[in-house]
Amino acid sequence: MYSYADRLAAMRETKIKHTLQKRKQNGYTDLDDFGTVPISEGYRVEPWYNSENGSFYGLDGMSENFVRVIDAHVPYVDKNEMLCGRWRDMLVNYRGDLHYMPDWLKDNLKNLEFIKNGATNQWSKRWDEQRFPYDHLKPLQLKYNITTGIDADAHFATDYSIGFELGFGGFLEKIEKYRHINPDKKDFYDAEEKCVKAIIRFVDRHIEHIDALIADESDERVRENLIVMRDTCKAVRYDAPKTFRQVCQWTAFFNCAARIFTRDGAGFQLDGLLYPYYLRDVESGILDDETAKFLIANLLLIDPHYYQLSGVDENDKDMTNHLSYLVLEAADSINIACNLTVRVHKNCDKEFVKKAVYYLLKNKNGWPRFCNDKTLAEGYMRNGVDKKTARERIAVGCNWMCVPGKEFPMNDTVKINVAKVFEEALKDLRAESDKSTERLFEIYESHLTRAIEVTAEGINLHIDHIADVTPELIMNLMMHNTIERGEDISRCAELYTVGVDGAGLAVVADSFGALEARIEKEGLLSWDEMYEALDNDFSDARIHAIMKSAPKYCQGNTVADAWARRLTDSWAKHVKAQKMPEGRQLVPGWFSWSRTIEYGSKVGATPNGRRAGEPISHGANPNAGFRSDGAVTAQSTGIAAVQCGFGNTAPLQLEFDPQVALDDDGVERVMNIILTHFGLGGTLININVLDGEKLMEANKDPNLHPDLVVRVTGFTAYFASLSPKFRQLVVDRFINGI
Amino acid sequence: MALITDIRRASFHDGEGIRTTVFFKGCPLRCEWCHNPECISFEPQILSYPERCIGCGMCDKGCYAGAKVRCGREMSPEEIVSEILLDKPYYGKDGGVTFSGGEPMAWKEELSRLVDMCRDEGIGCAVETSLIYYDEEIFRKLDMVMADLKIWDSQTHKRYTGVGNERIIENFKRLDKLGVPIVVRTPVIPEIEQGIDHISEFVKGLENVKKYELLPYHPLGQTKRTALGLEADKFTVPQKNYMEELKKYVFIR
Repeated sequence: MYSYADRLAAMRETKIKHTLQKRKQNGYTDLDDFGTVPISEGYRVEPWYNSENGSFYGLDGMSENFVRVIDAHVPYVDKNEMLCGRWRDMLVNYRGDLHYMPDWLKDNLKNLEFIKNGATNQWSKRWDEQRFPYDHLKPLQLKYNITTGIDADAHFATDYSIGFELGFGGFLEKIEKYRHINPDKKDFYDAEEKCVKAIIRFVDRHIEHIDALIADESDERVRENLIVMRDTCKAVRYDAPKTFRQVCQWTAFFNCAARIFTRDGAGFQLDGLLYPYYLRDVESGILDDETAKFLIANLLLIDPHYYQLSGVDENDKDMTNHLSYLVLEAADSINIACNLTVRVHKNCDKEFVKKAVYYLLKNKNGWPRFCNDKTLAEGYMRNGVDKKTARERIAVGCNWMCVPGKEFPMNDTVKINVAKVFEEALKDLRAESDKSTERLFEIYESHLTRAIEVTAEGINLHIDHIADVTPELIMNLMMHNTIERGEDISRCAELYTVGVDGAGLAVVADSFGALEARIEKEGLLSWDEMYEALDNDFSDARIHAIMKSAPKYCQGNTVADAWARRLTDSWAKHVKAQKMPEGRQLVPGWFSWSRTIEYGSKVGATPNGRRAGEPISHGANPNAGFRSDGAVTAQSTGIAAVQCGFGNTAPLQLEFDPQVALDDDGVERVMNIILTHFGLGGTLININVLDGEKLMEANKDPNLHPDLVVRVTGFTAYFASLSPKFRQLVVDRFINGI
Repeated sequence: MALITDIRRASFHDGEGIRTTVFFKGCPLRCEWCHNPECISFEPQILSYPERCIGCGMCDKGCYAGAKVRCGREMSPEEIVSEILLDKPYYGKDGGVTFSGGEPMAWKEELSRLVDMCRDEGIGCAVETSLIYYDEEIFRKLDMVMADLKIWDSQTHKRYTGVGNERIIENFKRLDKLGVPIVVRTPVIPEIEQGIDHISEFVKGLENVKKYELLPYHPLGQTKRTALGLEADKFTVPQKNYMEELKKYVFIR
């Protein structure tokens, strides 16, 4: 059989097989799946190092190694699919970055020896510290446990309309045109050209491979599919894509290239940019809905980028269309790790939101998630951005939004562990004779200001020099001003609204709350007793019980809820007040990504009863046990009240098994929570509707459910690919309803 | 002031939509399988969880470890409503508050006041009751009454709940005349001859019963029974095939 349904089922099976194979090759990754396929037999890359510290940087280093890695990629063609192309490996793996390095590469002795003999002992050689040192910042970055963003790749969104209009050949022609206008930027244009030509070679290898498959294929239906696949590749190898199928194939190739470069890139408004192609092809009779759905499912399988659907335009007009529905149906048909975000606005088609919720409940695979068009756009406009631009800003990351083609936000790469900032304040207060939560808050704010200052210095260092370290040669092709000026996007973006996230809100709010309630209001213990308890990590069980049972953030109208709001006001005020050069500005949010374990390991015992080294709270979420009923509504209301208000998010991250029927009533109830959270000012909902029984089984033996997908934080991952530690984290959050 | 054991938010199982459930303390029935045994006595009680005890020897100064949990908090209607209001934005047209227990109708004055206050706030109200009491004024103000009819034979009813069911059945008939939507529920206890066929037949004859549902016995009350110093009940969870067999008696209209 070769029906669409059969082919999709086979593609899903292959995906499951790949997931298990990748776990063998890579070890546990604790990361997004990224759509990679297993490394092929005999795959080998000889990297070219142009720095004596054992890494490669700049236009020549990045372009040469991009060529080496993409050229080493053998074509990927699955006869069941309509589209072809996958990626397997990326440049970052060759820069001594042990964080991302898969096991199969660690096994490559020659490479390991090289890394061992590297000239510096930094954990990652993604940043060229020899040329751009920042030793002067490190003591405070360490003190406040700052994730600096220095060396972070990409984390912005491209404008796919540029690529769809030009195609790979158009990129070359544009490069050629501007090469003459900016003769002093020869190195930049050489590097860009070298990369585009390598992408065209990648397409050509697919064409050759499909030709060979056609010659050997006896099944007429498969042969026919391969012929169309080959012709589609031929059509897009140089020219701009013209049909729906071509634009999907072109996107697949471009995304493979962007991922190989720095594993990054970002999706787009899927039902917006593809809609004209859909309409044209349907009108001319070359596309039907079933084929369109298959192509979308195929694209989602190739790369689980963050794609966005629905929402309103600059005139508040609903943008939901027939293709929006087809995308949901396509995602349902393949039901893998999909990072689809549904934009919600009061003017949007409610039936569409309802259908999105239906699939969330039906598949229990963590998709789609939901964002709030109104709050995000209005918030972003408070940075001095016009409404049209604010509405163009789409959800393309775990917690983040970006204006495609125009913004350089470094979103989700810069974080301050406020639990660590709080710990420093608490230490200072100890020496003072007159202790109070008010005084503690003053000291906390002074440390926070310093932490933000040093964070800003790191951000400026990154923006000033990243073009010399990791120029974004692939994503530059679809950004505004880059090719025109011969500049990396980090130097010519229209918007530098740089996201800075705070992590550990609930730990700090609950700590302030516990101090105010238990010491100041109830007089259950003294400040000295509290300090002693922190020193000995709560060895006195009664003091531990007293502090741990204090009122908590998200319980509803508690002292800790009030502290969470005050901490948010303070966070937003100080981040916004930070002076930045050259039109740059900082944008506050609350988000920890999946660093809760890592951040927690850096913080000693805290007054909320958290013992030394225990994980900090997840994003803007409350601490475990915040209410005995774990009420979703309480969490939703609490988090809606701690939004920073400038267009970045403090996501509501839900893990729950609502045990509602998959009927109108069940869907309405979950939809009600989503709409009410947004009505109260929430920005983003990352939601895991899970089957509790399946989750527990998979935690015991992940091989039982290799298809189980969970939303770890903003990103989704196959449960089977997570380390036991991360699997337990997801299970614990589920049990605690957070 | 009413004695309240718990207020639970975001309940998906005590009526339509998203609801807050208020548990009153005290019930005149003594159902042997009761899953809320802490709601039977009209007096405050202590639930003891010795496994949580940290041995601090300061019980008289309050237990923060959760080893001795006071069950039953005197709350004014204003205090209760302020908790209910926390989730007002989520109730929508279907959700609201469910007064449960225990037997909420045993707290007539307080309940009536609470219903008035909630209605003034535009919050829908439902009651979960054994229908051992009847108060037309309260019932008329409700959006829904969820009532149990546990056992058809009055003698058996008396044996397992402490009271016969004549009054309850009479109250069902009276309630039906008020036009308030009714949901009838029967907890399914495999060890008891409940006469579910008769119950179903009876409720079918009531005009305003919108739904008849069967709730399988669950042992979640056992931990609380132990914490109250009571012996465990002797009932078991019904098998799936037994529940399947009984499906023919449930209805929605």
